[in-house]
Amino acid sequence: MAYIELKNVTLDLPIYDVQGRSLKKQVLRMGRRNRIAEGNDGVIVVRALDDLTFRFERGDRVGLIGHNGAGKSTLLRAMAGIYPPTAGTLSREGKVVPLLDISHGMDENSTGMQNIRLRGLLLGMTDAEVREKQREIAEFSELGDYLDLPLRTYSSGMRVRLAFAVSTAVDAEILLLDEVMGVGDASFMHKAEARLEQLHGRAEIVVLAMHSNKEIRKVCNKALWMERGRVRAFGDVEEVVSQYAAAVGG
Amino acid sequence: MLTLSLVDLKQSIASWRLWTLLGWLEIRQRYARSRVGPFWLTISMGVMITSLGVVYGTLFGQKMTDYLPFLASSIVLWTLFSQMILEGSTAYINSAPYIRQVPSPKLIFILQVVWRNLIVLAHNFVIVIGLLIVFGVKSWESLPMFIPGLLVYVLNAMWIAMLAGLLSARFRDLPQIIAALIQIAFYVTPIIFRPEALNRFSFIVEWNPLAYLIDVVRGPLIGQMPSALTWEVTVGMAVIGWPIALLMTGRYLKRLPYWI
Repeated sequence: MAYIELKNVTLDLPIYDVQGRSLKKQVLRMGRRNRIAEGNDGVIVVRALDDLTFRFERGDRVGLIGHNGAGKSTLLRAMAGIYPPTAGTLSREGKVVPLLDISHGMDENSTGMQNIRLRGLLLGMTDAEVREKQREIAEFSELGDYLDLPLRTYSSGMRVRLAFAVSTAVDAEILLLDEVMGVGDASFMHKAEARLEQLHGRAEIVVLAMHSNKEIRKVCNKALWMERGRVRAFGDVEEVVSQYAAAVGG
Repeated sequence: MLTLSLVDLKQSIASWRLWTLLGWLEIRQRYARSRVGPFWLTISMGVMITSLGVVYGTLFGQKMTDYLPFLASSIVLWTLFSQMILEGSTAYINSAPYIRQVPSPKLIFILQVVWRNLIVLAHNFVIVIGLLIVFGVKSWESLPMFIPGLLVYVLNAMWIAMLAGLLSARFRDLPQIIAALIQIAFYVTPIIFRPEALNRFSFIVEWNPLAYLIDVVRGPLIGQMPSALTWEVTVGMAVIGWPIALLMTGRYLKRLPYWI
């Protein structure tokens, strides 16, 4: 049974500037022990998530809302297991598929078909699965013969179609989505929406970050409002979204 | 810490389809749209060995029939070792888009480097085989020892690459330092000259672990059975190096996504 549980999760993102990362600076620092430490090791640290505690259960469709930089994407990355938390514990069960930046992880010089395989493997599909789903993915992307051409010849809309088709073909128990709407032309948008809905149906937990309150109301049953890395409100979607709308509006 | 990296290693090896694919992609990209493709590797290596061979063979007053096979196997194998470490040092840095996208095991990026360089070796090795055919195999007895020799050699290159990749992700000067060190290593290690040629400064060879490493793979090809000492040194390096590399990887595995 899929779940995600966070207990007092805090996540600090170190921001290394060019000098902060250099060995020279580290060596120089060794010589002056007794001087006041500059910041935290000379590295600027941003607290992206601050003491988060909540639990998502099976059947939850959670919408993440909040301002830019509130920690939505970082939270998704932490739940995906990409960023391990600095403090606290994050436990989960179920196969996680993150769809964070759908155009990454593609190879310019490979053909569409080869990219399907590359991206499929990256997202954790087995070779057999990739082969089984290749056709379906190809059909969904509507790219036809273009799939035999290298990716660099694709328009940006075509890339998005392909990336979206592969990413959404993976069977996930926990699906983490970051602003994936707004892909391709109008006709593809409809298809994409239908596909996402279908995907939501298959997955046990869906967490999505989105800026459209309307969309969130439509697909989610719960909402998590984040502010400066903290949970401002978590609960029923109607309640939280209207609170958020009121706060933003007034 | 050790368990963490061992789990990562196991998962990485299990997803071999991914790293073999990633390794190939890089090579295909480098030689995309060229007629001979990756065989450019063979051609440029062949030209280099011929020119080096003629110049240094004459300089050192060596017999070409002996010197060319020696030089070819030296350079081809040294390329494997140095490239594995050089590319290893940027393995994580260059894979940042992948690492930030999916929670994949991390050592696949090192395995990708290993795989890619084994493919390159296969292309370059054509020259060594060609020269062995032309000038004849010195000793059929020592030849099979090339296989275990290569294994020890690659295992050693791999732990160094693991460490180099990890530390370079944190300290961005390291790739440059490593490149400089490799350049120096090329000159002080008996690659273009024979180990016994350094009679007055023989300590350079005796105390250089890389001399033993190259000896363990090159020896069998040119008809010199590697000595027991060579085996001890090279196997010893792997036995000590691997746990260190795995411990460090285990310790900093979780920090890696923050560094890149």
